[in-house]
Amino acid sequence: MSAAAPTILPVATGAQVRRYAVRLLRKYPRATSLALSLHALAALAALAGPRLLGDLVEDVEQGTTIGRVNTVIAVLAAFLLAQTVLTRFARYLSFTLGERVLAELREDFVQNSLALPVGVVESAGSGDLLTRTSRDVEQLGWSVRWALPEWTIAVLTAALTFVAAIAVGWWVAIPCLLGVPPLVIGLRWYLRRAKDGYLRENASYAAISASLTETVEGARTVEALGLQDHRLRRVDADISESFAAERYTLFLRTVFFPSVEVAYLIPTVATLLFGGYLYTQGAVSLGDVTAATLYVQMLIDPVDRIVSILDELQVGAASLARLLGVAHVPDDREATGRRPDGEQIEARDVRFAYSPGRDVLHSVDMSVGVGERIAMVGPSGAGKSTLGRLLAGIHPPRTGAVTVGGVGLTELPLAELRGHVALVTQEHHVFVGTLRENLALAVDGRADDSRLLAALEAVDAREWVEALPDGLDTVVGSGGRALGAAQAQQLALARLVLADPHTLVLDEATSLIDPRAARHLERSLAAVLHGRTVIAIAHRLFSAHDADRVAVVENGEITEFGTHEELVDRSGSYAKLWSSWHGS
Amino acid sequence: MGRVRHLPLEHPGVADHRSPLRFLWWLIRGQWRTLVMAMLFGIVWMVSQAVMPAVIGLAIDEGIAARDTDALLRWSLTLLGIGLVQAAAGTMRHRFSVTNWLTAAYRTVQLVARQATDLGATLPKRVATGEVVSIGTNDLAHLGNAMDIVARAAGAVVSFLVVAVILLTTSTTLGLVVLIGVPVLLLAVGPLLKPLQRRNLAQREMMGELANLATDIVSGLRVLRGIGGERVFHDRYVRESQEVRQAGVAVGRLQSVLDALQILLPGIFVVVVVWLGARFAVQGQISAGELVAFYGYAAFLMIPLRTATEFANKWIRAFVAAGRVVRVLALRPEVSAPDSPYAEPPVGAELVDVRSGLRVPAYQITAIVSDPPEDSTRLADRLGYYAEGEVRWGEVPLSGLRPEVVRRRIVVSDSDSALFSGVLADQVDIRGRGPGSLDSALHTASAEDVLEALPDGMATMVTERGRSFSGGQRQRLVLARALAADPEILVLVEPTSAVDAHTEARIADRLRAHRAGRTTVVTTTSPLLLDRVDNVAFLRDGVVVAFGTHRDLMREVAHYRHLVTREELSEEEAAGV
Repeated sequence: MSAAAPTILPVATGAQVRRYAVRLLRKYPRATSLALSLHALAALAALAGPRLLGDLVEDVEQGTTIGRVNTVIAVLAAFLLAQTVLTRFARYLSFTLGERVLAELREDFVQNSLALPVGVVESAGSGDLLTRTSRDVEQLGWSVRWALPEWTIAVLTAALTFVAAIAVGWWVAIPCLLGVPPLVIGLRWYLRRAKDGYLRENASYAAISASLTETVEGARTVEALGLQDHRLRRVDADISESFAAERYTLFLRTVFFPSVEVAYLIPTVATLLFGGYLYTQGAVSLGDVTAATLYVQMLIDPVDRIVSILDELQVGAASLARLLGVAHVPDDREATGRRPDGEQIEARDVRFAYSPGRDVLHSVDMSVGVGERIAMVGPSGAGKSTLGRLLAGIHPPRTGAVTVGGVGLTELPLAELRGHVALVTQEHHVFVGTLRENLALAVDGRADDSRLLAALEAVDAREWVEALPDGLDTVVGSGGRALGAAQAQQLALARLVLADPHTLVLDEATSLIDPRAARHLERSLAAVLHGRTVIAIAHRLFSAHDADRVAVVENGEITEFGTHEELVDRSGSYAKLWSSWHGS
Repeated sequence: MGRVRHLPLEHPGVADHRSPLRFLWWLIRGQWRTLVMAMLFGIVWMVSQAVMPAVIGLAIDEGIAARDTDALLRWSLTLLGIGLVQAAAGTMRHRFSVTNWLTAAYRTVQLVARQATDLGATLPKRVATGEVVSIGTNDLAHLGNAMDIVARAAGAVVSFLVVAVILLTTSTTLGLVVLIGVPVLLLAVGPLLKPLQRRNLAQREMMGELANLATDIVSGLRVLRGIGGERVFHDRYVRESQEVRQAGVAVGRLQSVLDALQILLPGIFVVVVVWLGARFAVQGQISAGELVAFYGYAAFLMIPLRTATEFANKWIRAFVAAGRVVRVLALRPEVSAPDSPYAEPPVGAELVDVRSGLRVPAYQITAIVSDPPEDSTRLADRLGYYAEGEVRWGEVPLSGLRPEVVRRRIVVSDSDSALFSGVLADQVDIRGRGPGSLDSALHTASAEDVLEALPDGMATMVTERGRSFSGGQRQRLVLARALAADPEILVLVEPTSAVDAHTEARIADRLRAHRAGRTTVVTTTSPLLLDRVDNVAFLRDGVVVAFGTHRDLMREVAHYRHLVTREELSEEEAAGV
């Protein structure tokens, strides 16, 4: 199997992310507006405190009674109660909304992943998609559950507090505005650098964890080959990188924190000074100055939250862009609506390249009769797997054609292609779930036990499945009962038997099964698949010996093609191999 | 500026791993200077915050209410000065705390990595790898957090005392209300925290399961897109996703109550303090400015309180994390150096496994075929001294030699051998023997085509555990690595099980020339390989029953023939039916 050029999945553009976000919020207009109104009311109730305290100070200065104090305090308590109740429902509503939006996001993502073009799935590998599945979904969960609502509430609170401060008197705007320049300058400077800085930091911790994991999992190899120093140098290098990343973000914060602290401090001091000056001029009351000072101080908390959550939101938006990007993979199949006439598989003058200018197949011709069993052998890197993928309709050839019944394989819609050709590779996967679920997915979840057991029998797996205490109900996959690689391959083959396509392409599909058992399996499989076309890429010679015809693939070409006997008589590379293996 | 300690340390030191508490104390001792600095700055930072209400109160009283512009200016500038001190001290506190966090976290990782390499083959036998791995992902953060919170906790304690003293000197009643009321409020939230944590935990567990399901779907995407079943899995995901959503709503129901209480409880406190203060003010006991200051204290006191709760939580977690670290650090290698090691045997000494009776001739390639096949792996483990067993090397037993001597001269490369991430050349040429020897090792392992497919050749970065390579490619690289190490005795366990017949034959042809003048043992059942080695030892039930060339054994030992070419016999049987 040759390493295919990695296709990195696309990332959604800023415009696409915005469009998606707007569409999502528009879906729940009532819940959104209700939550926002409740939060606004709660913020308003909170603003009563400074005003009432200002009034109290004013009253104390003018001389007042205990009764008056009691009344003001009672009003203060009432507002506190209102704020508490409003907050409770506002929070609950936004939690509910957040959970709903988040569920929709992740379900959309999984649906899009499940609709990825089969060619992309085969050649891109799962690395990129796995990262998106684990890291980005989690990051987005954090943003949607916590960062976004907190930020929205903070913006709302800050705006209302500012309005309340202005309501005390227009003059309060002047000290507030004094704080804006250091805040904006510091914030712009910081945000331009923060995202990359923190991404680098996160990546460095992922690297530390990966190196440690490797060292631990490969501990025996480390000892066997004396790699102790290698590994320790590696871990220390990862720590050095992490430290460099940490120092950089620490530098960012060392500049940023003081600048915002000063931005918060200036308005408070200025309000006191300016308000005091106005009071001496008789322009405002003592209660106004007190209320204004307290409002300006109250602004600090929401503004600080707005500022500190911003970089979190940046990271969340980046995750969202990666999750949405999966929906933007162009389909590589073009259904033309032509119907195959028969099941004859044919490749004519096929050339193929993963990267332009580097053909890995050079003018391959191959005609496979219906019901014929073909074995493909050849050294690794010769292009066997690539030819297998083309014959299974995963990729279109660069030139020439691969057809079933006269119709190009990539012209068929995926659902129809599966009825004609299916590919099983040595990369197997056991899903978390029961054995029954693992098998039935090949028939869309509908199959009775007798059919499942028959399929298992065809791959020599019925015996061990029935020996399990829970039989078909045994839970397997990660966290369940561990299956060996050979058993996993048997499951993969049983799925194929259930799917029952006309043509099967097996790419080293029995390579992990003990050689002695593999041959028996291949024979019982052949009996079940009687009348089906089988193209098997094999690394064991007995598989070739048992086939109707053998194709030797070398350097991207079919160099020998014929029955086992014909090839042995021809004394080419196959014959040489056979005699060596056979020990004659 | 707060000088940041240069990390990582050259050597993390020798940890005290007798108990979690001792380990934490060991960590603290190793960084006490930066911890003390962080605490000092933490105290300055929090106390300046605590006295701000008093300054505002004085500005109102002496400046504004008294219409004294000089006093107003003086107190405003004082406020500005304290604010600047607070900002500076806060930044310094943060810098020292980050240093403390990093020192503890990095040191722990270094310790665990060193312990893992020291334990070697013993490690996977004694502890689940997940347990060690979680130290590198979670526990390091918990230990770091414990060091980080110390500075803020110190500030919290001192500032709480400062405010309490200020209030007590103004009014005993108010002082007592604060000193008693604040802890009571803290405890009032307590009963709600337990059920909330429970629901949080339940949701997090479900989220973990959901994430696993998504990972499972993506890992098996080839199967799903190749054969079908997308709908089944999508339905299942939606079902679980909706369950997580319900659990999230259940958390939200409780969390929203807690959020509301976090407003109500401090709010009540503020109302009570203001009420008492206003009554005193009306009676002329305190001034208007002091009333404003009381309001400020009441709001400020919530900060030290929250810090105290945080401190307790973080140290409880750190204690658990330290327990895990200590368990790993306390492990000792199975194979230890003998008290008085023998002298090294000379080059070319014969290796003899007493239990099976296998004698490994020097300078030749010897293949091992076993029935049952697991015996080959056990024998290879004994020859490399990974398992107890009586193995003599020349005149001395393997157990009488220092382990590093055995590891240097005898290399066992088993089928589970790991490929590590890093530059490919470094990963294959582990003993630094140079490009010439590297090329010839790659040639022998028939791995040139692997290189050709790589964009940067030998400079390519190998991804974690060599995942980007196929099974056959990985196996050939692992083989090339063992060959490039060029040890005196090389034991290869099933070195070609994942490669095709063409390639296997090629490797077998090249192996002999490559290992000329060296001793090689290989376990296999492949006729292609057996046909190209010097001797074959055939074991039944762990004992050598035949020794000779492949062709001799094929001719003379029926059981051997039956085992190696079982296929042939069954074919004849099949033909006979």
